[in-house]
Amino acid sequence: MTPATHFAEREHLICTTARMIEENKSYWVGGGGEPLYTILLAQRLYTPGVQYLTEDGVVSPKALLPWDPLMTMVASRAGYRALQWGTMNTAGNFAQLGYVDIGILNTLQVDKFGNVNSTVLGPYAGGRGRRFGGPGGADTIAAQCWRTILLTDQQKRKFVERVDFISSPGFLEGPGAREAAGLPAGTGPWRVVTPWAMFGYEEKSCELMPMAVSPFVTVDMVLAEMSFTPKMAPQLKTLDPPTEEELTVIRSSLDVEGQTTGRGQWVELRDGKYMLAETQGRE
Amino acid sequence: MEILAEGKGDYLRPDPDGFRAWVRDHKPRTLVNKLMGEQEAITRLVSDGDYFAYDCNYFARGPSSLIREVIRQGKKDLWVCGKFTYVAAALLVEGGCASKLDIGFVGFGPWLSKAVAEGRLQTYEYSNVVLTYRLQAGAQGLPFIGVRSFGGTDGFPNSGAKLVKDPFSGKPVVLLPALNPDVSIIHVHQADIYGNARVFGTGIAHVECALASKKVILSTEEIIETDEFRRDPARTSIPHFVVDAVVHAPFGAYPGTVQGRYASDPAHVVECFGGMMQGNLKAYLEKWVYSVSSHEEMLEKRVGWKKLQELQRRETIREGYSV
Repeated sequence: MTPATHFAEREHLICTTARMIEENKSYWVGGGGEPLYTILLAQRLYTPGVQYLTEDGVVSPKALLPWDPLMTMVASRAGYRALQWGTMNTAGNFAQLGYVDIGILNTLQVDKFGNVNSTVLGPYAGGRGRRFGGPGGADTIAAQCWRTILLTDQQKRKFVERVDFISSPGFLEGPGAREAAGLPAGTGPWRVVTPWAMFGYEEKSCELMPMAVSPFVTVDMVLAEMSFTPKMAPQLKTLDPPTEEELTVIRSSLDVEGQTTGRGQWVELRDGKYMLAETQGRE
Repeated sequence: MEILAEGKGDYLRPDPDGFRAWVRDHKPRTLVNKLMGEQEAITRLVSDGDYFAYDCNYFARGPSSLIREVIRQGKKDLWVCGKFTYVAAALLVEGGCASKLDIGFVGFGPWLSKAVAEGRLQTYEYSNVVLTYRLQAGAQGLPFIGVRSFGGTDGFPNSGAKLVKDPFSGKPVVLLPALNPDVSIIHVHQADIYGNARVFGTGIAHVECALASKKVILSTEEIIETDEFRRDPARTSIPHFVVDAVVHAPFGAYPGTVQGRYASDPAHVVECFGGMMQGNLKAYLEKWVYSVSSHEEMLEKRVGWKKLQELQRRETIREGYSV
């Protein structure tokens, strides 16, 4: 395990999340991009037997990367050598029955109760806001997996007091709200991971709370990229940087063309300190 | 039953008795040859104002050739079931065919807000599984189905769902209205001329769509003998008596993939997706839909056999996609 010296911030996000994956838990992952890469990276390096499900009812495939553009589901390479090929309703049934421990999702916007917006930025009515695709499978994942891990970028417009539109449920308005809305008991958000930080939730209030920050940013930098002031854990940990072994897997067999990891900033180890390449000149 | 909250969105009203009467009066009980061309199938079975569903999408084993034919014929005021779909909803709206859209997931872009702002499109909010559960209820002949998701979201008030007190447990539960589309189009690997059909690999809700819909059009990669079904009946995905038309459409999912048969055409996928994201699908529709008279002509003039053979070669995985 050799700590990397040069990496993209989104590679860091994938590595952080991959290390949270546990062999004896079951996962429902978004069909492409970072959520898929986290589970595949974990499979290659840490938890070879870990099982995952996708929205088209594919159970535990041996995904054959790379894929043609947008061929994330109902495509032969994505569902290669699965244990079962089902449909969307079979995937939904598994989650509703309690078979899926953790869902891993991307989100456009998240709020202090972990609610997920993938529908609209700005007002919904009348087509006045900037419209996105809708929840897709995320509503089911967020409602019915025992826990969810949300992945997003650390940007002020993405961390808001209240999302513009709840496409998929976090803790809704706070403690007890999920059960009152008919969602299964004992479920809910668990972590939010960005390239800069990892968040959990305070148990009593169900509010988002930073738990750890990346080695190339400060706590203040993270807080400056949030639209609300979160509660703070007594002690914040520093996340480990990616290892060279992890980066080799990502770059040689997951995101070979950098379609996902290529966006965002670059990080370098300089004079024994990790820093965002962009900020070096200013320090 | 006590209603705790309810959506205010319009929804296709479930009518299980009406559906049964439709089945009694319209669905043939014997083996009837339903093979017809795409033009005849869409002309006869898709009407303006229909609730319109398709399974999978324009890039993944979807009925792409039939979606193009719907647009070519200029159908109007369709209410589209937008589950698990990238560009097809955008093509139907920009082609002037659709005026209502139930959204689970659709390929977004400027077209969507613009169509809503200009009053060309009404949207109603669901999620992918919520829509396939609605189809599941429709496929069982039930008026509604309970689901343990969707409650508390902002999609809920913009849908036809209701939150009620479960009369058995007293706990809150979301009820969804069953969905029985007027017409569904589904692309399959194999079918006979009567409508018995096989789908290999994963799908979204092809069986639910077929059973829930009043009118069902299949497009198929391959026509096979009925005896083939009798040799391995467990592999029949859709039985003939729910089907109204069978269209023989090799490469019918193009530019998408059909698992085990051919890969997608990445250049075409990017052209279509890019047009949608840039808010300009006019050029795409002109080139691939309006300027050709049929799927066959599109394949001949715009794609070519060399490209089609290359797509077949690129689909190297065959395991699991035949009997």
